[in-house]
Parts: sequence; structure tokens; C-alpha cells
Amino acid sequence: MSRVYVASVGYTTVGDHWNKSILDLAIEAGFQALTGAPKVKPEQLVVGNMFSGLSSRQEHLGALVVNGLGLTGLPGFKVEAACASGGMASLAVFNMLKAGQIDSALVVGVEKMRDLDPGEVSQALCAAESAEYTQFFGASFVSLNAMLARLYMYEFDVSRDDLSAFPVLAHRNAVNATHAQFRKEVSYEDVARSMVISDPLRLLDCAPVGDGAAALLLVSEDLAGQVKGPLVEMAAAESATNRFSLYERDDMLDFAATRLAAHKALKSAGLSINDVDYLEVHDAFSVVASLSVEALGLSKKGQGARDAREGKYARENGLATNCFGGLKGRGHPVGATGVYQLAETYLQLAHKAGPNQVDDASVGLAQNVGGVDTTAVVHVLRRS
Amino acid sequence: MKLSISYWRLKDRYYRLVGVRCEECKNEFFPPVYVCRRCGSRSLTDKEMPKTGKILTYTELKETLAGFEDQEPMLLGIIQLDNGVRILGQIVDTAAENLSIGDRVKAVFRKIQEHGSSGQIFYGYKFVRT
Repeated sequence: MSRVYVASVGYTTVGDHWNKSILDLAIEAGFQALTGAPKVKPEQLVVGNMFSGLSSRQEHLGALVVNGLGLTGLPGFKVEAACASGGMASLAVFNMLKAGQIDSALVVGVEKMRDLDPGEVSQALCAAESAEYTQFFGASFVSLNAMLARLYMYEFDVSRDDLSAFPVLAHRNAVNATHAQFRKEVSYEDVARSMVISDPLRLLDCAPVGDGAAALLLVSEDLAGQVKGPLVEMAAAESATNRFSLYERDDMLDFAATRLAAHKALKSAGLSINDVDYLEVHDAFSVVASLSVEALGLSKKGQGARDAREGKYARENGLATNCFGGLKGRGHPVGATGVYQLAETYLQLAHKAGPNQVDDASVGLAQNVGGVDTTAVVHVLRRS
Repeated sequence: MKLSISYWRLKDRYYRLVGVRCEECKNEFFPPVYVCRRCGSRSLTDKEMPKTGKILTYTELKETLAGFEDQEPMLLGIIQLDNGVRILGQIVDTAAENLSIGDRVKAVFRKIQEHGSSGQIFYGYKFVRT
């Protein structure tokens, strides 16, 4: 099977793009990726997006974005897997390239969130959860993660400050990331004093709401010669699912989808978790980051938050994690998030990461989650 | 989407906690499943769940979904019923500071959503401490 390489990436800043539509954002990121490797002509477009129908009354994003890019005729479709839509779009393209069906493709992840009122955003996000048994009773997505956080703190004696470690780390890393939504540090005290959204989760435990788009131009090994600069291989892309709703699981604190997807991806790449020297975790909520590093096998069960507090995932002297701020600092335009993670992992491995460059980063793992670990997509990237 | 239609379909589930029981291994599930999670059987029949259980975890939600604003702040819990089934629901008639993990609760029949002063009212289960 062909190897798959990242030819170039593109992304908008994340935040309030009042003057840009969902299509404007997708085209901005798409053009950047295409301009980065002008000799590569994509044979396929795949768009990752969660709720364009709700946010913009717009579906049919494949053909819409193809036409916006001036590529009429090119096949295009949208992939939806809640907050893992971006990662799943990339996985779809990865498989097509691996199969030898095509030699080049453009992945665009995009979400327009700020055109919705806050209540409508909550409702759109909660569409990832059971309409009949979760939404009907008024439980929002945050409330599910809050119940998970309470259980995590109770079971493993995790403190408020332990839980704050991932948000503090994310914000510190976002300061130097020019495309991040919140380029400002927060202290442990700031997190502990921020507004309660759904007890015990506070505002600074939760990723913000923002607009954004990111893009990847991927090629098979036949076209690798067209790529300027360092070659970064997409070595593996795998996905797995957990029981649909949190409350249906025997062990709610086991992120089984992440665990399975990571196991498959690392096996497929012929690597172990100890080979990973750059990590992107899906820190939509502080507790989700903690349970994710545990499911990845990097921290022992119940120790993820404490390990983060002790510096295990710090850019300096740790396993460098979320160096552009993660979902918490860079922002979380949901359907775009998985593509941002991959673009950022590429920047690290291509040694184009600027002030937050990690020395000698050579193997990166990106974990993108939809729902409360209901769907997980794990990619492994490797510097060639 | 017309909520009234899915509500009508589900009224036994919402009113009386009717889940399913596996004909093969006798395990019970709520919400209902199509395939038994324990033995893989597709022979499942409706079965009313026990109405009592304990709180596994809970939260006080300050920003509710659209349509639930008049219920802020909302207490939500994941309840383990006495047959081992876990279920999500609102906890009512108390305040967050009175709640602890492990508290005993029972299911009660309450109003869930109301669509305006002249709209439909939707009923279902909530939980109270015992």
C-alpha cells in the first residue's frame, strides 16, 4: 500500500469571524493548503463538519466548497462524526490514498459556531448525544462532562488544582500560537475562581466557542516528490467507538474508544506509545484531557490530571502536548478541530512550529473525540 | 422535527421506565437495546425497570439547553437502578448542597418540557431523594 504524506496545511485564526461565512472560512484554509504545494492538484475533497445545517442552514458542503475553490468537477463530500468530524474526514482520505484509488486530496475541517446564540450552540453540540434519552431531559453536553468530572474526582481523589493542570498548560502554550483564540495565560487561581458552568466544571475547564477552518493537502508516495521541505508521513489513521451514552458504560472513566483507536493506530504504524514525542489530545474539557492521556497509556488510571500538574505533559522537559493551545487555548470549532490538530502536528514534525517548536519532534499522535469518547480518531504522523 | 411524535412513540419508556430484558441471559437494559450487551442475543422484550436506585454522579447545570431556561439551575444525575441499569435524569425537590454520591433516590412522574403557554407539555421520569 502507498505511503501517505502531508504536502501542506492551512488554517484560519479561531474566534469571532463575524464578517466571514462558513464557506469564506473553508476557502481561506483551503487556499492556504493549495498554495503551499502548487504542483499538487487534488483529486478529491472531503469536508469535516458537524452542524452546518443548524449554524448556517447549509448542507451539501462537499460540492459547495469544491465550487468555492474553483475546482468544479472534483468529487467532494462531507463527513460528520460530531466533534471528531475533522479527524474522521482525514481518516476517510487517508484510506482512499492507502488504497491507491487517488494520489492527492484536500481535507477541510470547518465550523461556524458564533452565528448561533449560546443556547443554540449547546443544543447543536448536544445533537451528538441521544435525542431520546439525553437531550429530551435537558442534559447538555457540558453537564455530561461535569458528571464525568465529579466521578473522576471522587474515585481517584483528584483535587480542583489537579483538574486545572491541563487548562493552565493549554493557555500557556497558546500565548505564542498566532492562530489561537485565547493567547493569554491563566493561573490555577483563575481556573478555580472562574464561573461555574456545570458543577464541578467551570468556564476555564471548558473549550471556548469559536469559528474556524483548517485544511490538509495529502498525497500518495507517487507525488511525494512534489512536496517542498521536510516530508511528514501520515503513518496511521484509525477510529473506534464506545457505548453511545456515558451512562450505558460499565466503567464510565475508561475512554475505550480512544484506547482502541490508539492501539490500532500505533500497531499499524509499527510504533509504541513510548515512541511518541509530540501529542495532541482532545482537551474539550479538563477531565477529558486527563482521561485521554490515561486511555492512551501515558498515565496510570486516575493519574492523568496529577501527572499534568507535575509537568509530565509540559513543553519543557515533558511529553510536549497541545503546543498551540489545544482545544482550550487555540479554540474548538468542532468540525475543524481534528484537522487543526493534524495541521499543528505537521508543523511540529516539519520543524515549522515557530516559538513553540519542540526540539527533535519526530513522531506525533493526535487524538480527536466525538461525544464523550463515543467516537475516537487517532492519527500517527512521522517525520520521514 | 416534531418532538410530539417521538414523544408519543416513547411514552411507555418515559412514563413507566419500560426498558427491555434479554430472553436468553435475563439481563435488563434501559434505554432499550437491539442486541443484548451481555450475550449478543436479539431476543429482547419490554420490561419495566425498578423505580429505586442510587446516585453514581451528579451536577448542577447553570446554563441549560434552549427551552429549559425556566428550570435553571438544573440538577442532573446518573442513577444506578436496583437492577444495575444506569440511567440519566433530573434530580428534583432538593438543592445541590444536599446531594452526595451514593444517595438513595426513586423515580417520580413529572413535567419535563413545556412549549409555551399554549404548547404541548411533555412528561417523564425524574428522581427524588428518599
